[in-house]
Amino acid sequence: MTGRERFLKIARFELPNTFFLSTYNHAMWHKTLERWVEEGAPKEILSSTKARLGYFGFERIGMVHVEASFLTLGKTGGPPFIPPVRPRFELKVLEEDERTRVIIDEGGRKLRQYKDDPQRMPAWLDAPVKNRGDWDEYKKRLDPHHPERWLEPDWGAYAENLSQRDYPLGVDVGSFYGLLREWTGAERLMYLFYDDPELVCDMMAHMEYFSTEIIQRVLKDIQVDFAVFWEDIAWKGGPLISPKMFREFMMPHYKKVTELLHRKGVDIIFVDSDGDISELIPLWVESGVNGMYPLEVAAGMDAVKLRKQYGKQCILWGNIDKRALAKGKEAIKEELDRKTPFLLSQGGYFPGIDHFIPEDVSLENFQFYLDYLREHFAG
Amino acid sequence: MEVDYLESIVTAIDEGETEQVAELTQKALDEGIPAKELMERGLVRGMEKVGEKFKEGVAYLPEILIAARAANRGLEVLKPAITKSGVKPKGKVVIGTIEGDLHDIGKNMVKFVLQGNGFEVIDLGVDVSAAQFHQAVVEEKPDMVAISALLTTTMVNIPSVLETLGKTGLRGGVKIMVGGASLTEEYAQEVGVDAYGEDCFQAVEIARRFMGVTS
Repeated sequence: MTGRERFLKIARFELPNTFFLSTYNHAMWHKTLERWVEEGAPKEILSSTKARLGYFGFERIGMVHVEASFLTLGKTGGPPFIPPVRPRFELKVLEEDERTRVIIDEGGRKLRQYKDDPQRMPAWLDAPVKNRGDWDEYKKRLDPHHPERWLEPDWGAYAENLSQRDYPLGVDVGSFYGLLREWTGAERLMYLFYDDPELVCDMMAHMEYFSTEIIQRVLKDIQVDFAVFWEDIAWKGGPLISPKMFREFMMPHYKKVTELLHRKGVDIIFVDSDGDISELIPLWVESGVNGMYPLEVAAGMDAVKLRKQYGKQCILWGNIDKRALAKGKEAIKEELDRKTPFLLSQGGYFPGIDHFIPEDVSLENFQFYLDYLREHFAG
Repeated sequence: MEVDYLESIVTAIDEGETEQVAELTQKALDEGIPAKELMERGLVRGMEKVGEKFKEGVAYLPEILIAARAANRGLEVLKPAITKSGVKPKGKVVIGTIEGDLHDIGKNMVKFVLQGNGFEVIDLGVDVSAAQFHQAVVEEKPDMVAISALLTTTMVNIPSVLETLGKTGLRGGVKIMVGGASLTEEYAQEVGVDAYGEDCFQAVEIARRFMGVTS
């Protein structure tokens, strides 16, 4: 069985008691990788997903080469993140002091970042879309057919090559909250739901158009295995907006996208959101989304509880507590022993860490986590 | 027609009607309603109502933000009258996001809601070092310090705030509360802060408790 076949069978609850372990949901901050290189890992892991794949023995997984969701500009494929604007804004340094600098980034946002660690979450100082006029300008950079968005110079050859693949391939299908926040600002977006709901509707309608155009173009030539929405629409205390607001503003657009994906034969549709998403899960399921990650433990997410509650309605990915990896081997064993046997026995689960692996996790602990998983739960 | 200004202000805050809160507050002042009463039974009560709805799971962050914006607008109108009448803020809070961390939305929510509930808040911003917190305690003489931390890698800087205050004998004179995604009640007890708040309304309850007031 190829990795692709195994991935699909696991996702479809057809293959219990085995897992597919990939770089997906095993992302590391650059500082973490720097620490691991100091602790003996090869320096290539700093800049190459392929090197990390090889060194840690992950299975290959890919995403279609089109800029359809937030983009990762970091050296390790992580932050800084920008919205998928084309053309990009010119990076400008406005001021700097010893430790930080204020920039306009390639997504048009004004932010303060640490000079020694640009991957670290910045301080958002200003966002480019404050009103309808700003949006009318900004959305010109969100043309789904902008040539620079399509990263393969020979699309035909790329598609042909992918048809022979033995690994799962996904497509980013955008966002109806997360990306809007990137260009309006977190607080402003929340105000806009009340101050200018029509503008919010307009932005979401455009993102539906953006995503559906990309999906149609990709799926004309490539059969993908899964799709991913990115939202980050929750915090420790629950969703950032009410379920009522989600239903009114976002759900119609979700349904349009998932219906299109289903018509095109894509039945594995994930949403990526940190925080406590428990109130939104039934709405996502109703919208046609059937997979969630990373299931942040610190926000109260519990994959065992979700599996009991939702059965086969939800594919679950992640939920291994990154704090356990920092604590040490006993904590790692306890974490894996508590969750993994049950989750794997039910199928529809991919082990993964519940967010980017922070720098307080040693290489030794991470390797122990992988080894323990493989030795005890490989099936 | 008699207008129940206080009830109208409460409703307007709940509905996030910023300019209506400002108008009603001004009219109520013009009608002779005392500033303290407007503050307690209008603005603070309005924020309490939103806080109750938040606990019930009816109000979420956008509803809190628009309510806090409305309440703070009312406060702007009320401020001269409050100062004149000698009504003091319920307490003084220095707030900041801990060194190494540039997140501010959680801190801002706490600030807005504390202000809306009658507390004076001095916002130090983000990436605030122990030395800066210390400086602020020396200069502002707050009743409490509220520290926000989102990351597991930056919450470890919180103990140094306590140490720095301890070294100069200031720790005993100020209460410290913490909050943020990476923090827990257990951690708060472990490092020796006075309280951990799960959300912005708990922060208000904690602040009231610190000040020995119930509203």
